Amino acid sequence: MSSIRIKAKERKGSVDVKTLMKHKMETGLRKGKDGKKIPEHWITDVTAESGGKVVFAAAFNTSISKDPYLAFKFEGKKGDTVKISWKDSKGKTDSAETKVK
Amino acid sequence: MFRSLKSIPLVLVITFSAVASAGPLGIGSTATPEMIAGWDIDIRPDGAGLPHGEGSVAQGEGLYEAKCASCHGLFGEGEGRWPVLAGGDGTLDTLHPEKTVGSYWPYASTLWDYIHRAMPYTAPQSLTDEETYAISAYVLYLNDIVDEEFVANRETFARVKMPNEENFYVDNRPDAQNERCFKNCADPKTFEIVTTINGLTPTGHFKEDSGVAANHYEGNPSAASESGISKVMNNTKIVLSDKATVGKGVYDMACQACHNPGIAGAPKTGDKAAWVSRIDQGMDILNGHAINGYQGADGVMPAKGGNMSLSNDDVINAVAFMVESSR
Repeated sequence: MSSIRIKAKERKGSVDVKTLMKHKMETGLRKGKDGKKIPEHWITDVTAESGGKVVFAAAFNTSISKDPYLAFKFEGKKGDTVKISWKDSKGKTDSAETKVK
Repeated sequence: MFRSLKSIPLVLVITFSAVASAGPLGIGSTATPEMIAGWDIDIRPDGAGLPHGEGSVAQGEGLYEAKCASCHGLFGEGEGRWPVLAGGDGTLDTLHPEKTVGSYWPYASTLWDYIHRAMPYTAPQSLTDEETYAISAYVLYLNDIVDEEFVANRETFARVKMPNEENFYVDNRPDAQNERCFKNCADPKTFEIVTTINGLTPTGHFKEDSGVAANHYEGNPSAASESGISKVMNNTKIVLSDKATVGKGVYDMACQACHNPGIAGAPKTGDKAAWVSRIDQGMDILNGHAINGYQGADGVMPAKGGNMSLSNDDVINAVAFMVESSR
């Protein structure tokens, strides 16, 4: 199952996108029970594309919470696709796609 | 413990009806099967008690967004301080445990029972069996326990296994640790009060001639709400009509939880920009929306703010207070 959930709704020519990415967003500063630091592991880049065109991009850092929630708007219409992908500090990536309702 | 508790309500119902009909006092009446069915709505962990009907994740999505998301969040992440429903796996033994449906609940049946019995918060027991199946399925989907194609019914729902079920155990500690004293016990007269909790309870008004008004204390509700309201109005003097003055009491009780901080799309009291277009619609429409409920573009206004014990006049007065405070 994808780590990303997306809801996209069009209203008056503007698509309202809400998304939640499941990620532990470990800063590298926290200590575990053994007293050692937990290695950092966080999302660095988030990109949203609609029809092959980038409509939103974000550079995250360690101040972003666990399981980041993100909402943004772009010009579009019903039936467009929205593809959101992320890349994290360990080089892992994930993406998910949905249709605008 | 858990299992034995479950059987108690049934036993009580049976004895009560037997006594009532056969008793010498001739009071009460025998519970009809319909009455018992109305009380007997609990769902057991093995799925016993689940009704017929079914609901899919896809159906649940729309229902969840309409009825649940304004508090629990679109993805179950929880708006404001409302309960979080999804996520939290692996956090229960950490400093900040997140108790969600996925991380904490032992049985899926509890989910169905709880939603059916107590949700939505503003209108409990208003969901049909099908709607409850659909919403339960969607909440399980938000927790990655079932996939998108899942359709919940008696058979499939009883088979759902919750991730944390194995870690629950029967708590067999005795209820009380102290043994009762019968011989050579301490004399209660010699007991000394070592400490009391100070500052939580207003006490000034109990003392005669203390010279302090009772509402001086924070514990006095009218004194507390007075300061809350003046904050909302940005300290501008507003002269309220009689209706609105009465409505302020209703507002404090039923409306301010959402309209003070602006939760779930509610227009904040005192926020002129948010209210101007609403006031322009006219008081009749505003009152109608407040009394009967309203689904707007920004959020939901539950009928009478979810407090069905209010009369229509109470609601109209409260609306008058909000409108006059927001002009």
